[in-house]
Amino acid sequence: MPGVKRRSSLIRSPQFSSLVILVVLLAAFAIADANFLSPLNISNMMAFLPELGIIALGMTLLLTGGEFDLSVGAVFGLAPVVVMLLVQSGQVDIGVALLAGLLLCVAIGAINGLIVTKIGISSFLVTLSMLLVVRGAALYITQGFPLKSWDQPGFFVTLLAGSFNIGSFRFYTSLWWFVGLSLLAIYVLHYAKLGNWISAVGSNRNAAVARGVPADAVKIWLFILTSVLAGLAGMISAFRISAASPVAGTGYELEVIAMVVVGGTALTGGRGTILGTIVGALMLRSIRNGIVLIGVPGLAYNIFVGVIILAMLILHALLQKNAARS
Amino acid sequence: MEVLRLQNLQKSFGSVRALKSASFTLNEGEVVALLGDNGAGKSTLIKAISGVFPVDRGEIYVRSQKVSIRSTRDAMDLGIETIHQDTSLAPDLSIARNLFLGREPVNLKWLGVFAPLDLAKLRDAASALLKRVGISKKLDADALVSTLSGGERQSIAISRAMQFAAKVIILDEPTNNLGVEETHGVLRFVKEVRAAGHSVLLITHNIHHVFQVADRIIVMRRGEIVAEQTVADTDLLTVESIITGADMSALLKETRAK
Ligand SMILES: Nc1ncnc2c1ncn2[C@@H]1O[C@H](COP(=O)(O)OP(=O)(O)OP(=O)(O)O)[C@@H](O)[C@H]1O
Ligand SMILES: [Mg+2]
Repeated sequence: MPGVKRRSSLIRSPQFSSLVILVVLLAAFAIADANFLSPLNISNMMAFLPELGIIALGMTLLLTGGEFDLSVGAVFGLAPVVVMLLVQSGQVDIGVALLAGLLLCVAIGAINGLIVTKIGISSFLVTLSMLLVVRGAALYITQGFPLKSWDQPGFFVTLLAGSFNIGSFRFYTSLWWFVGLSLLAIYVLHYAKLGNWISAVGSNRNAAVARGVPADAVKIWLFILTSVLAGLAGMISAFRISAASPVAGTGYELEVIAMVVVGGTALTGGRGTILGTIVGALMLRSIRNGIVLIGVPGLAYNIFVGVIILAMLILHALLQKNAARS
Repeated sequence: MEVLRLQNLQKSFGSVRALKSASFTLNEGEVVALLGDNGAGKSTLIKAISGVFPVDRGEIYVRSQKVSIRSTRDAMDLGIETIHQDTSLAPDLSIARNLFLGREPVNLKWLGVFAPLDLAKLRDAASALLKRVGISKKLDADALVSTLSGGERQSIAISRAMQFAAKVIILDEPTNNLGVEETHGVLRFVKEVRAAGHSVLLITHNIHHVFQVADRIIVMRRGEIVAEQTVADTDLLTVESIITGADMSALLKETRAK
């Protein structure tokens, strides 16, 4: 019976166990504090969600292709800083500055990808070094001071950080970006030819190459994509809070990778799920938000986040193991 | 008729001369067995033919046309399909997706790599193919390759080579790790392929298999071809001694005389 088979494979899928955990988590926070599901709090979560979520989409594809990128947090910080410096120099208008910022991200991604594929150094080492270079550059060109971000209303501000109300909820346009990019990523990974190549390259690179799949090109473009999405997320964030800080995005790389693997994408490559990543992004966002609401003391905050992520991963692994056995 | 001809192929890895000089011809509808001890250079030779890496020197002719094979894609386009020793499937992909990896059926072709896969066609073609190879009863085209046994994986890789009607099919130790049943499946496949007019280059350490399916034998030692004989003109013991190098000089003389 195909219906039954399909249902059981859905339950076994990694996204599904993540979704169960997410629902349990949301219920727990909602019971612990009634404000958790208030319009204000949900609006709050939805404002932050896309910024890390957009990076997580790129990271999911990259991890599926068998590589990862530790420089995304630094790129998140550098891109808007460069945009604002260009605008402040008075030479270019905001549109050109944004384009230049994104091109810089393309260059950073391309350098990561070229070194990893052509010289053959692990992406851990390459992107760790890149993290230092990029973060260092952001600090140096700003002398460590945050810049006031572009706040005059206009096309680009609306495009990246506009907001709108639905009932008593307040949403930012960045949520549309996240939704749109998620749909695109789902299409590419699961339905397009490219997705087949990405999974194959991450699963068994030699096999993919033997079938004529341009493995290096696939990886290089994934590095570029991840960097560009990180830069875009940085710009969205800077516009929303009207400030571009050279230390913005510190630690994001690990949080993004956590989102992706909590969602069920294999750290070892080959198996990726965008739906899982969306669930993972929601999960980490609500953990951050929820533990503040239930009154975890500020300094103990990261201990809790770390422990909860670890618990998630263990639970996740156990669920997976059980599902595989049955 | 000649399908594939190699002339003086050479390949070194640093100071290791894996392929000192290899020349031979493969004819249409012929099964040639490539024999030799571990490290003799067999895999290196076929990797050069299938575009895994470029040769340092030498020429390759396909149907008497000189060709340059710079990538695996080039080899596939010339009708050379290879099943490598280090298995050539992606375990995290389904059987169907593996069968068509690199040659996916798509809709809206103009979208390039972003073109949507024709999933229905992919699944149907995969099922049809599995049926043709005779393994459809056991396997679902949507199953992940990671859930298959070694023998099943080998069968998948072989049916993939079959589906694109390659002129030349190269098998690098295809019966390694296979059970009796699967081994017979592979040998039967080799015979079918020959009957269909394709040529096969078969690498194996099992001389019994060679005598069951091959027309001709080529023996390599230390990066060189040291003997070439038709199966009808030789016997098991002779071939074994050529491979191990025992009484080489006498045998070489014998081969040269022919
Ligand atoms: N990528 C490589 N880099 C360096 N040396 C290599 C490489 N590939 C093969 N060699 C060397 O070239 C020689 C021939 O190797 P090859 O794999 O062609 O042997 P083979 O005949 O296929 O052996 P086997 O029967 O064990 O598969 C060996 O000495 C091997 O160590
Ligand atoms: Mg070999």
